Amino acid sequence: MEPERIDEYEWRVPIGTVEGMRVPGIVFGSEDLMRKAVDDRAVLQVANVATLPGIVGASYAMPDIHWGYGFPIGGVAAFDADAGGVISPGGVGFDIACGVRLLRTELSWKPEVRPRIHELVAALGHATPRGTGAGGRLRLTRGEVLCVLRDGVGFALERGIGTPADAELCEDEGVLRDAVPDEVSERALTRGAGQLGSLGAGNHFLEVQVVQEILEPGAANVMGLFIGQVCVMIHCGSRGLGHQVCTDHLAVMDRVMRPLGIHVPDRQLACVPLDHEAAQRYLGAMNAAANYARANRHVLTDGVRTCFETVFERSARDLGVNLVYDVAHNLAKLEEHEVDGRRLTLCVHRKGATRAFGPNHPSLPNAYRAIGQPVLIPGSMGTASFVLVGAAGAERKSFASTCHGAGRALSRTQARKRIGGHELARQLEEQGIVLAPGSPKLLAEEAPFAYKDVEEVVRSCEGAGLTKTVAKLRPVGVVKG
Amino acid sequence: MGEPTSGFAFLEHTADIGIRAWGTSLPDAFERAGVGLATLMGTTATPPGRTIPIHVEGADPGGLLVAFLDELVYRCETTEGEGLASLRITRLDPASLDAVAEFAPMSEAGEGLVVKAATYHQLDVSERPDGTAEVRVYLDV
Repeated sequence: MEPERIDEYEWRVPIGTVEGMRVPGIVFGSEDLMRKAVDDRAVLQVANVATLPGIVGASYAMPDIHWGYGFPIGGVAAFDADAGGVISPGGVGFDIACGVRLLRTELSWKPEVRPRIHELVAALGHATPRGTGAGGRLRLTRGEVLCVLRDGVGFALERGIGTPADAELCEDEGVLRDAVPDEVSERALTRGAGQLGSLGAGNHFLEVQVVQEILEPGAANVMGLFIGQVCVMIHCGSRGLGHQVCTDHLAVMDRVMRPLGIHVPDRQLACVPLDHEAAQRYLGAMNAAANYARANRHVLTDGVRTCFETVFERSARDLGVNLVYDVAHNLAKLEEHEVDGRRLTLCVHRKGATRAFGPNHPSLPNAYRAIGQPVLIPGSMGTASFVLVGAAGAERKSFASTCHGAGRALSRTQARKRIGGHELARQLEEQGIVLAPGSPKLLAEEAPFAYKDVEEVVRSCEGAGLTKTVAKLRPVGVVKG
Repeated sequence: MGEPTSGFAFLEHTADIGIRAWGTSLPDAFERAGVGLATLMGTTATPPGRTIPIHVEGADPGGLLVAFLDELVYRCETTEGEGLASLRITRLDPASLDAVAEFAPMSEAGEGLVVKAATYHQLDVSERPDGTAEVRVYLDV
């Protein structure tokens, strides 16, 4: 399979690459990243998605694309309900509304935080439940879980956790009003009751970072970012509750799809038309799980504020521990986009891809309307993370979507073969990165070399006209899931 | 030297991980896959413990395997401090199965991955004419 070059950062996977493609595939990225995607078989998955009913424009892949199951990770696909378009739980993934939030502070690395970094990371490690089966910061009753599913961040605000700005600066103001908690199973509620305010595992993390470089001073200023500033980035999702929602609805769609005469090249692409009852039920449950994910990151934020207060002996408000933005990278949303001169309401699936609205989009918080939507790109452990903003052209190029991270290049076993956890921890410490204690084996699986070069990914997104790079942050403290 | 008559092995995947399991019969292969899953999650234990009856349904043997493993993901995540000590399938037909899972206290928290779910991606369930069986399933981790 050989994608055709469109320009330096854009490649076409022509119709006919696999049987039944309704639209072409478009892969964004440098030649090197595109080759990796071909070798990884992820481009074949881009072509498979192009066969789904009602797909509009193209089956897109962001520069950090890698092999997933069904949909590629880094995939974007939009479907038109009026043209038989579908929704697919596999196009969102099991970790519904997994995403990233960035907190800024008024503290500088030098002289304020550097002398206290060990103390700070130890406190954050203690305040952040993580790993397998870890109980969350809050233990909820069934009724409270239902409130989280309905109210998202608002659930915590009502209980005095956080400030109204935390909701205003969150995607969708912290809550999707179309959530239908009744579509979430008892099993999902059970899993959700014990895990609100926990990281989970795998590539999820909480990092203390320092703003190292500013590339768009205007936008950085609007977001309150400055060189040398200490920030905290949180990457996690909807935990067991979200996984169970996907599991439940995927099983339904797997059964419902066949009598409808929908055939998919990979069973994990199971989908039903948007106007089908099963689609509407999944949408309601998915939105509820997305509310849980936002509330989860919000409750972890509360722990971060407490740690800063303890270590620096000032209030979090005084220290300026404020939300910059919170955005998901595993979600399907109903959005208006222009296609061939017509405004259409499309169900845009982003799986390992981030929404990136350009300036003046009505969905943006007032504070960010002039600069475009902030996009938060977590690096792999020990490498830089980035703050981007959506470019005006992204809507036309990718249904306003961009990358979500570095993207894996090596499997977990391959990573472990290259380095032991203790050795990796030592290397990170040598680079001046303080680690909160965790599992050495799982640490090795997340070694930086197991991921693609995040800088090349971000550069490709800018080159393709999807996003502009605002700031680069380097890690100084890591709490690993 | 050939492989033992039943067992499991993990399969490489860029971001996730798969399980290949085989046995002297289809139920045996399903059981091995279940034990492989618990091993991956770091939630295994030694008998004796309490037994939990399991009943799952699926549209076909592949769907049944996914439903069975998803059931175990749920059990392993929600039985706090306990791990899978034994697993026995008592009945299996193409559309449903019954099993007995034994959960016992874990001596210490295992070092495992958070398994989000079993997927249908490259799912395979094969029974041979001699009755032996092999399954392949990828998990989202």
